Amino acid sequence: MTFLEAAAALRRRETSSAELTAAALRRIERLNPGTNAMQFVMAEAARERAKQADEELARGEGRGPLHGIPIAVKDLFRTKGVRTTAGSKLFEDYVPDYDAAVVESLHAGGAVLVAKTGMHELAYGITSSNPHFGAVRNPWDRDRIPGGSSGGSGAAVSAGMVFMAMGSDTGGSIRTPASFCGVVGLKPTYGRVSCYGALPLGFTLDHMGPLTRSVRDAAAVLNIIAGYDLRDPASSRRPVENYVPDPEPAIRGVKIGLPENFYFERLDPDVDAAVRGAVRAAQSCGAEIVPLQVPDIAAMNTVARVVLLAEAAAVLEPHLEKRDQFGSDVLALLDQGRLLPATDYINAQRLRRAMQRDFAGLWPRVDCLFTPTTPSTAPRIGETSTSIAGECEDVRLAATRLVRAINLLGLPAISIPCGSDRRGLPIGLQIIGKPFAEGLILRVAQALLPGEVPAPRL
Amino acid sequence: MTKDWKKIARASGLTIPDASLERIAAPLDSLEAALRPLVRGLPPDIVPAPTFHAAVPEEMENDA
Repeated sequence: MTFLEAAAALRRRETSSAELTAAALRRIERLNPGTNAMQFVMAEAARERAKQADEELARGEGRGPLHGIPIAVKDLFRTKGVRTTAGSKLFEDYVPDYDAAVVESLHAGGAVLVAKTGMHELAYGITSSNPHFGAVRNPWDRDRIPGGSSGGSGAAVSAGMVFMAMGSDTGGSIRTPASFCGVVGLKPTYGRVSCYGALPLGFTLDHMGPLTRSVRDAAAVLNIIAGYDLRDPASSRRPVENYVPDPEPAIRGVKIGLPENFYFERLDPDVDAAVRGAVRAAQSCGAEIVPLQVPDIAAMNTVARVVLLAEAAAVLEPHLEKRDQFGSDVLALLDQGRLLPATDYINAQRLRRAMQRDFAGLWPRVDCLFTPTTPSTAPRIGETSTSIAGECEDVRLAATRLVRAINLLGLPAISIPCGSDRRGLPIGLQIIGKPFAEGLILRVAQALLPGEVPAPRL
Repeated sequence: MTKDWKKIARASGLTIPDASLERIAAPLDSLEAALRPLVRGLPPDIVPAPTFHAAVPEEMENDA
């Protein structure tokens, strides 16, 4: 069941928030030991909030579609009075005295926060194999990673523990777990959703967004969390719109760019076939497919890595004397960031502006782009390299190869499931839009995925 | 030309163990090697993507 369906059932009094919350807590109790998707469960507070939601709904004081719906947020969103670790030993006892902007919005919308999800340490990686809190496991195959850094959010939504979980995306950290776990993951335009109160990783690359089991659910969450926030210097004043697409939207005449270079190179053949199947499905709905050459994405990935190395090292520099408090992979990245000269960072940010201009040259020709989200399905836990189309590649670089540049450009992008590989593991389609065109990419995604995502057998 | 990251770390006063420096030297070298040709082609009038804007106090809540 999607949360919009659950919300409709709540309005019809066919269920209650207390029942939905109790069911979520039971499912977490049953499935969390095998997946480690949830870092903390706030059962008592959730039951109390659900009771309050039921009372408000009974009085006719509805707060919107999330009212009374059990959800979770990644453990890098500050939550007032509740530990916020960012998956790090540094912050294992940190209890904030305020909520992140996104958490404020979700509370105002009446959502019932039942848990905080596990993640890659400090959001700086894609495996979610956390050295301090344990590995998050993929519900489709518990020997495999869920992706990251929002791996707990992807696993929790895929396993049906909650209807929605918030994630953050600095180099693919919403879309990668969405792809590996077979759920919907939406990274809005840079500045569309406030980052205030989320522990930062890369100031100019961080994006906040939802992971859900349907496209319309993701859009409904965006309706609640989007908007200007004075407390976030990057927040956009551009007005928000209603992002929820029709259940069966028309996409006739929508121009979909299909990259002829980069994005379809070095793919698992099953991924290639599934994404091309989605392209044919869009074409059969009346969309126009426009083959095109995209600017140098490999160069954008290089620039994005320089920016992130420097920004993350700057954020965490005060803690770097406590080397034993970091996992080895994160520490290696932070050390690299400290050694890069300031000129590299400044030049990377100059290149970023030039690349933004180059990429914008595509938009007069197309409305969105279709690409794979990840070049393969989920790797095994512990693997550091993976073979894709006969070539050995670093797992982290491979998993972010098709998503990282979109953070550099600040563009909205969504990952939706578009099939499965020979082992039954989910494959993700990435739809990239022009700035602030969330409505368009959600409409196209809804046309291809009108219902709920497939669920793993658990 | 690759850099001597150990010397750079010491000159910068960074306490990074030699073993860690050896581990990160290769990825840093390859990253800088990829960045260098891109920077060479950059026109001088391109300013960095994040730009500073002067603001009056009521517009600066996040900096308080």
